[in-house]
Amino acid sequence: MTTAKARVLEDAKGRRATFDDIAVGQTLGQMEWQITDELIDLQCQLDQDFDPLFFPQQGGKRIAPPQITYRPPRWLISRAYNVRGLFVGWEMESFRAIEAGTTLSVSGKIIDKYVKKEREFIVFEAEGRDAAGHLVFRTRRIHVLDFVERSAPRSEAGIDSGIKPEKI
Amino acid sequence: MSVLHKDTPVGFELPTIAKKFRLEDFKRADEKTIHTDYEAAAREGLPAPVAIGPQVAALLFRQLRLCFGNGWIVGGKWNLSFRRPVFVTDFCVARGVVAKTEQEDGKLRIHCDVWIENQDGNKVIAGTASGLVPLAA
Repeated sequence: MTTAKARVLEDAKGRRATFDDIAVGQTLGQMEWQITDELIDLQCQLDQDFDPLFFPQQGGKRIAPPQITYRPPRWLISRAYNVRGLFVGWEMESFRAIEAGTTLSVSGKIIDKYVKKEREFIVFEAEGRDAAGHLVFRTRRIHVLDFVERSAPRSEAGIDSGIKPEKI
Repeated sequence: MSVLHKDTPVGFELPTIAKKFRLEDFKRADEKTIHTDYEAAAREGLPAPVAIGPQVAALLFRQLRLCFGNGWIVGGKWNLSFRRPVFVTDFCVARGVVAKTEQEDGKLRIHCDVWIENQDGNKVIAGTASGLVPLAA
């Protein structure tokens, strides 16, 4: 096994999106996402955080850790583009507690792309609202398209893909 | 009881949260990913599988939830840069320090500089985070 000197052209889910493919200003659509008890359990297990805020006793309202909102914006990107790369920037504001049973409506948009240190970056924003239309969270993400520098040819066959099952 | 309160001074060091990661921490089903498989990582130019960024950042989120309590859940903000890859067997420790405070809608927003160091002392994630605490005692 040798470490690649080329960028991935195609993986098991198809051709990778290139920097030129990414359209700044493109909306990424919308998705509904219900926060179930099982999702909160899984998030807390992944994060190893079992605070009573997330596991209330004596009938208190159960809420989710704010970072449970990481995935839906990533899924919206994956619906539009096959981007693997690496996650390199995460801004987030939490405006409301996310109670178990809440259905969030998440929408997003690509707002920028740029080249820095010979690598290609995309920037996208997303927000989540509850059923009443209240803003629950707002986030901005930066993703680098490849770990390998952009001067390397895009010719490698990848294994992993940016297109994932839409579950935690 | 939250760690931070209205009288917490600038320069206060947040409690540390540490974890030694294992490859198994990042497995989902049988999928081969850059987080679980050496060949999949190598095809992307990575020397080894890399940790899932949000799972590493979760050390900071635990720290900040502990510091702010409900003032993290509602009103929490963060801006993090993932500065270099964290590999799946790295040791990481979340650190932070109170940087400044300001009043906001009848509460006090406490801004912190936060970061995660790996076993070599390198800052692999760094940025800022803030939450709210009551102004009343």
